[in-house]
Amino acid sequence: MKQITCALALLASTAAMPVLAEDITITVWAGGSNDSDHYRIDNIMIAADLLSREAAIRGEELNITVEGKRDFDGWDGFKQAVTLGAEAGNAPNIVVTSHLDIAPWASAGYIVPIEDYVDLDSWPLNNVYANLMEIATFDGTQWGVPQDAESRPFFFWKDTMAKLGYSDADMNDMAARVQAGDYTLRDMLADAKKAVDMGLVDEGYGFYPRVSNGPDYAQFYQSFGGELMDPETGKLVLDRTAMTEMYQFFVDAVEAGVTRKNHIGTDWDQWYSEVASGKAAFWHGGTWHYGRYTGKEGNDDFFGTIGFTLIPAGNEAGRANTITHPLVYLVTDQEEDRAEEIAAQLVSIASEPRLNTLHAIASSHLAIGKAESDLDLYAGDRWASEATDVLLPHANAQPNHPSYGAFSEAMFKGLEAAWAGVQTPEEAVAEIEAQMSATLGDELIIR
Amino acid sequence: MNRQTLLGLSFISPALLAVVMFFLLPVVLTVVFAFTNMSTSTGILGGEYQISESDLRRLPAAGVSDEVAEMLTGAGYAVRPETLALFAADFGKDRADEFDTLHGGATFNDRRAMERALKDLRGDPIRVVRERKAAAELFRVSILGQRYPTEAEFQTAIRELGIPEADHAALTKAAYTGWTFTTQNFELLWELPATWRYALNSTIYVVLTLAFNVGFGLFLAFSTFYLPTRTAQTFRAIWFLPRILPPVLYVVMWQWLTWDQGFISAILRPFGIEPINWMRHTATHAWTFIVLINGCVGASLGMILFSSSLRAIPETHLFAAQVDGANRWQQVRFVLLPQMRWPILFITSYQTLSLLTSFEYILLATDGGPGRQTEVWALAAYHTALSNYGGNLEYGLGAAYALALVIIGILLSALYLRFFNFRDLVAKPRIEQ
Repeated sequence: MKQITCALALLASTAAMPVLAEDITITVWAGGSNDSDHYRIDNIMIAADLLSREAAIRGEELNITVEGKRDFDGWDGFKQAVTLGAEAGNAPNIVVTSHLDIAPWASAGYIVPIEDYVDLDSWPLNNVYANLMEIATFDGTQWGVPQDAESRPFFFWKDTMAKLGYSDADMNDMAARVQAGDYTLRDMLADAKKAVDMGLVDEGYGFYPRVSNGPDYAQFYQSFGGELMDPETGKLVLDRTAMTEMYQFFVDAVEAGVTRKNHIGTDWDQWYSEVASGKAAFWHGGTWHYGRYTGKEGNDDFFGTIGFTLIPAGNEAGRANTITHPLVYLVTDQEEDRAEEIAAQLVSIASEPRLNTLHAIASSHLAIGKAESDLDLYAGDRWASEATDVLLPHANAQPNHPSYGAFSEAMFKGLEAAWAGVQTPEEAVAEIEAQMSATLGDELIIR
Repeated sequence: MNRQTLLGLSFISPALLAVVMFFLLPVVLTVVFAFTNMSTSTGILGGEYQISESDLRRLPAAGVSDEVAEMLTGAGYAVRPETLALFAADFGKDRADEFDTLHGGATFNDRRAMERALKDLRGDPIRVVRERKAAAELFRVSILGQRYPTEAEFQTAIRELGIPEADHAALTKAAYTGWTFTTQNFELLWELPATWRYALNSTIYVVLTLAFNVGFGLFLAFSTFYLPTRTAQTFRAIWFLPRILPPVLYVVMWQWLTWDQGFISAILRPFGIEPINWMRHTATHAWTFIVLINGCVGASLGMILFSSSLRAIPETHLFAAQVDGANRWQQVRFVLLPQMRWPILFITSYQTLSLLTSFEYILLATDGGPGRQTEVWALAAYHTALSNYGGNLEYGLGAAYALALVIIGILLSALYLRFFNFRDLVAKPRIEQ
């Protein structure tokens, strides 16, 4: 009798238990992330909790363990780790990486389209800005979801500008003037020269650009009328005139004593501390620099000392612009379809406005969706709201094209050669034209 | 094969294994990779078959007829009797009938539009996202963007589409996403103007650094040779430091020394010399420091080897020379140097080969700057194959760069052996014959 009772009890307990407990481990690797970017991984953890609860309500037991990793040896180390892991069949389930990786990784079969698993027309993905979603597509397929947005503004030091004769009102008008094309890179160069001549900043500190290759330099190409991709054919575009004029601009800056000839390769820490303390008159950076200037570099009065605008136009052909280079959540190809499905659902949940706002404000990035500006945390942050208004509507992205990497490297090499005075801008452009037509072949349009 | 030979082989087998694993295999792989178009996009372990939207415009160039390209273009999803039948089989006749009334005959460009249409079902809506996606797939009539793991599956798919047999081969070739064998890397190397600059940079780098290494190593060896033993040892220990320091730390110290707020600038400022970045100011500055950074590391090895071989020269030779009235310089020139041929050969050939392939100190110090003027061949190989901001690493082209280095290295070794009369040097001593 006792035995039967026991057996019955056991039977009852198994019947009461959910059918099958499912345990799954999701690994998330976030490239290019520092301490303030921890929500790239934390949001997936919060999403896992929510998804498990949803499953529990449906009567399923779903245990998700999220393992995150963000200490990589720079972008190169991260990309090698992901691609080699994918080749070996043990890639992380979710990667946070540059949207430029979508084209090569999709071609190689390392990633799976997020649109295979989640409904793009439902919440929260239908809240994400359409132009940002577009950046995570390639060949007509939605591969990923933007993880954050940013943009790359032009900065000026207000004190220096005041001494150059700009009133507070003038400085407030600056963003509008740049946007309208009234204040160009040439005007900036003249002001920077004046600042150097008047001794307001040291020689070489009038205009203090980024110290390594990055999307920033494509902005200057656009400032001089360059176009990165032909929308009709999807081919990359080398605009010789725009490229020459952009190179010439940097050469002129060096010749005027406004920018250092050997500026490329300057130590990043030195660069940050100098621009945050007013050693430079003009420079350009990213929206996330706000966190660094006001945090580690100790600038307590950001809005009182620093003004920001779009990257000014360079000439008549060009336009004031800024490039947004969002990181994206991508789901990798796994043996188990279920792992891909769960990963995609986690990515979708992590794109909830509340969760994404945590990341945006903690790391000085911008919102990925409309609803975020209705949240107190986001709306209450002056930098996030102002940068969203001034910059994001005008932001474009670099093209997702498998050969864009080669294009960008060649463009920067040419710029370096002209900048350092090894070649004239014309020679440098001729060389990159030879280089690009050899490496890109039919995928390049030369104008 | 007798037991002794076997025993010998078994003793040498770990070393043999290491040589195969860490030398032969990488060289063989470099050779293979150099003749492929392997990159991040193609993957390493092979590919699948897919025609994507952007492939369409490349098809005519790949030998696929325009007519086929036309067939592949067009709407991806269509509500036709045959697709509706598939839908009815999986999702029920009622739904299929309702959908036919709603969207019969319609075509949709992408799956998102197809899914939106499926949401219009009212009678018995498909509620679960995955199910709706599965339903949408049933209406797919195009192979665009579809990945097929094997060639056979792809060919079945294009046969079903009614692509003429004549175009199958060309289309399959164009659809392959993996790497293929090609000689285009070498054509590219030949064509690119930068290649010749990198070659020239490598020559400058190897010749200057080698001269510094051997010259300074010899100088240190001779100068410490004539010092009292203890002093000499202290000096040698100091000069050995660069070699045992971790490269990153060692280069950071050089950076501190040379940047525009660094030590050199600070010292020179009172003399009215404007602070500049001494390492990156011009190409000459950069080369000077690259030679110094590498040279100080290399010279210490030369110093140790040269010192020990100097000590192996019988002192009596020096006494005899002294009796003949030779001064220090004459001793060095006519007694010591001629007996140092073998260590100098060794250091020269060893350093040439290691300098040809070394780039880590340049990467850390200037990263090829300013303006790519210190980009040596090996660094270009690294940048091409393993470092790209845009994410598409060109393994094949990088391997082609590396292969050129392997060939030059082998040729140079042969040349050195011949030039220094290696066979004489390793001949058995006559006295023991």
